[in-house]
Amino acid sequence: MLEQFITGFGMAFRVDTFALMAAGLFGGMLVGALPGFTTLLAMAILLPISFFLEPIVGIPFLLGVYKGGIFGGSIPAILVSMPGTGAAVATSRDGYSLTKQGKSRKALDMALCSSVFGDTMSDMFTMVMIFPIAFLVMQFGPPELFAVLLLSLVIIAATSGKNPLKALVMMLFGLWLSFIGTDPLGGVERFTFGIFDLKSGIPLLPMLIGVFAIPEIANVVMKSDKVQKLAAVMGERLTFAEFRRCFRTICRSTVIGTGIGIIPGLGQVVAAMMGYSAAKNASDHPETFGEGELEGIAAAEAANNAVNGPTMVPLLTLGIPGDNVTAILLGAFVAQGLRPGPQLFEEQGATVFAILVAMVFANLLFLIIGYLSIPFFSRIVQIKTSVLVPVVIMFAFAGAYVFRSDNFDLIMLVAFGVFGLVARAGKFDVMPMVMGFILGPPMEYAFGQTMAMGNGEVMQFLFQERLGAIGVLLSIPVIGFMLWRRLNALPAEN
Amino acid sequence: MFASIFKKVALAGGMAVATMGTAAYAEYPEKPITMVIPFGAGGSHDLNARVITSVIPTYLNQAMIVRLTPGAGGQKGTQEVANAPADGYTLLFTHNYVDMLQQYVENVPYDPLTDFIPIARVNYAPMGVVVRADSPFETFEDLIAAAEAEPGSIDLSHSGNWGAFFVPAAQIMQARGVQFNLVPYQGGGPALQALLSGDADVTMGFPSTLSGQIEAGDVRILATAGEERMFDDVPTFAEVGVEGDIGFMHRVLVAPAGTPDDVVATLTVAFEQLVEDQTFTRMMGRLNETIELLDGPTYQAMREEQGVAYKALVDELTGQ
Repeated sequence: MLEQFITGFGMAFRVDTFALMAAGLFGGMLVGALPGFTTLLAMAILLPISFFLEPIVGIPFLLGVYKGGIFGGSIPAILVSMPGTGAAVATSRDGYSLTKQGKSRKALDMALCSSVFGDTMSDMFTMVMIFPIAFLVMQFGPPELFAVLLLSLVIIAATSGKNPLKALVMMLFGLWLSFIGTDPLGGVERFTFGIFDLKSGIPLLPMLIGVFAIPEIANVVMKSDKVQKLAAVMGERLTFAEFRRCFRTICRSTVIGTGIGIIPGLGQVVAAMMGYSAAKNASDHPETFGEGELEGIAAAEAANNAVNGPTMVPLLTLGIPGDNVTAILLGAFVAQGLRPGPQLFEEQGATVFAILVAMVFANLLFLIIGYLSIPFFSRIVQIKTSVLVPVVIMFAFAGAYVFRSDNFDLIMLVAFGVFGLVARAGKFDVMPMVMGFILGPPMEYAFGQTMAMGNGEVMQFLFQERLGAIGVLLSIPVIGFMLWRRLNALPAEN
Repeated sequence: MFASIFKKVALAGGMAVATMGTAAYAEYPEKPITMVIPFGAGGSHDLNARVITSVIPTYLNQAMIVRLTPGAGGQKGTQEVANAPADGYTLLFTHNYVDMLQQYVENVPYDPLTDFIPIARVNYAPMGVVVRADSPFETFEDLIAAAEAEPGSIDLSHSGNWGAFFVPAAQIMQARGVQFNLVPYQGGGPALQALLSGDADVTMGFPSTLSGQIEAGDVRILATAGEERMFDDVPTFAEVGVEGDIGFMHRVLVAPAGTPDDVVATLTVAFEQLVEDQTFTRMMGRLNETIELLDGPTYQAMREEQGVAYKALVDELTGQ
C-alpha cells in the first residue's frame, strides 16, 4: 500500500493536472459565488469535458470545481449576507457583521484559511484511515441518522439565540414549513391547500436569500442618506496572530466536520452548525458570536469543509455514491475506466492515491488562488450603495429564479423577505428556523425508514439491534439540559 | 401582475432561457431547443442528457439546452412541458415510472396519454434482484420460499416509493404472490449501501453498474429483467414467472401532444443519426449506458401497455 501511495504521489505531480485543477478551482469559485448556480450544476455541465482527459487530470479538474464552489458560496454570504447554500448560513452571520465593520478582507481570509485547513486535514486523515472509515460508515443506518439529526437540532436550538425558547419556537416553525408539500415517503400532500406550486414544498434558495439578504438590503436602503458605502474600507488582511487565536477552534471544527462526514446523510450543513455551536459553547465570550467574531467564521468553515474527505470513502471503497456530487464523480470514474468499488485499490491503487494526493494539492493551490482573488471580491463593499443595492437586488431575484425558472419562487423570495423583516423586528432569530427547515426532511425520512425497518415492532427492533441509536436518543435530554444550564449561568446571554 | 414584473427582472438578468415558441416552424429548428428534465442535477437522466445534448447539435444544426426542473416527484417539469406550446422547442426527458405510473398514485395535473407523444426511447436499463454474497438465499426461489414462509420478514431496500426499484419489486410481489417489507432509501446508492451493511436482505439494482461489486464477491444477482439472460447462470424474470415489461427503466424523450408531424420527423431522424455517431456511442459506453433507440410509434404501444399494467399494480397495492 505504501508503494502504491508513493507511485500515486509521483503521478499527481503533473503540469496539466495542476493547470486544470487551478482552472476548475477558479471557475468553481466564480460559479459558487453566484447565488442560484450550484456547484453541482457546474460539475454536471463540465462532466463531459472530463471524459476526454486522463483520469489523473479529469477527476482533479472536477474536484477543483467542487472545492472552489464551496468556498465561492461564502463570498456573497460574507459580503452581502446572501448565503446560497445551507452550509454558508453560519458563516454569513459573523461574516456580514465583519463586513459592516469594515473588515471584509479579514473575514474572507479567515474563511479561506480555515476552509483550506479543515479540508486538507480531513483529506489526509481520509487517506491514512480509509479502510477504518469504510468500516465505520457501515455502522450507520436510518435509526442512527435520525438520532444524530435530532441531537443536532436540539444543540442548534439551545445554542443559537439569546433566548433558547424563541429559538425553539422558530425551529418548530421551520420544521412545520418543511412538512408543506408532498410527504417524501407516502406521497400524501400536506398543507398545500390544493396549490400545485406548494406540492414540491417550499424552495430553500428563495427562503435563504429572503430571510438573510432582504432584511439587510432593506436596512441599507432605509438609511441610504447616511450609508454611502457598505463599509468605508475593506480593511486589513488576516494576521497570523488572529489565525493563531482561532487555531484551537479550527482544529475542533475539523474533528467535528470529519466525524460528521463519516456518517452518511448528514453533510455540510450539520457540520457547519455543530462546529459553530461547539466553538460558541467553548468560548469564554460567547456573546461576541454573531456580532462579527472571526472565530465564528473559522468554526463554520473549517467544519463544513472537513466533511469532504470522508464523504469520498463510500465511493472509493464500495463504489456507492452517497449524494449527487459523488454520483457525478462516479460518472467521471466510470468514464475513465476506473470502476470504484472493492477491487479499485487492488487494480488501481496508485491512481486512487494520486487522486487523493491531488485533492490535498488542490487545497494548497486554492490557498494561493483564493488569497490573490480576495482583494478583488472585497472591493465590492466600496461600491456606492446607490449602485450596489440595485445590483444585489437583481442577484437576489435572479438567484431565486434560476434554480428552476419558476415565478412562484420569486413570490416566496418576497414573502420570506417580509417575514425576515418582521422576525427581526420581534427579535426572533431566523437561523433556527432555516436549520429546522433544512434538517427536517432528512430527519423525517430517517424516521419513516426506521418505522419501515421495524415493520410494526419498532421498539423491539431498536432495542434488539440498534442500541447505538437508543444511546444517542437518551443522551439528547441530558445534553439539552446541560446546554440550557450553561447558557442560563452566563448573565451576558440573557 | 407581480409575477410578470419579477419575470422581467429575471430576464433582464439574462438568466432565463426563453421557451416561448413561435408559430413559424418552416425550417425547424430555427432556434435552440429546450430539453426539460423533471429531476435534479447529477442523476442518471442528467448525465445521459449531457451526453445527448453535446452531440445532437451536429444533426439538428441547433443547440439543445438542458433545463432541470425538479419538484413534486417529477410532476413539476412534466406539467411545464404539458403546458408548453407544441412546437418542438420544449421537450421532456423522462422515464416510464414518472411518465405512466405516477398518474395512478397521485393527482397529476396532466394526462400522459393525451398530453404527450413519445419522440424517442433512447435506452433502457434492465434491473436485477441483488443479495449479499453471504446471503442464505442462493437462488431466486430460496428468496420466494423465505418470503412465503414468513411474509414481510425480508427487508427489501429500494430507491424511493413508486420509483425505478420499488415498482419492479412490487411487480415481483404481485406476480409471485409474496410480501416483502419495502424500505425506502434516498437513491439507489444508499439502497445498495443498506444491503451491504446488513440493514436490508435484498435490493434491486442495475447489473451494469454492479460489475465491480459482483467481481469482488460482495453481491450476487438472483434474477435479471427480460427474456434473455444477462449472465449464463442467472435466470431471467420470465423464467421465474415474472413476465411482461417488468424491471426496465426506459429513458424517453416526449413532446407535447399536437407537435407537427414534420417536427417529429426531424427529431426522429436526428436521433437515428445520433445513435450512429461514434462520439455519442463512445461517451455513452463510458457511462455504462446502453443505446437502444425506439421510435415514437413503437414506444407509444409500450406506453399504452404500461398504463394498463401499472394501474392494476397500483390498485392491488393500495387495495382499491
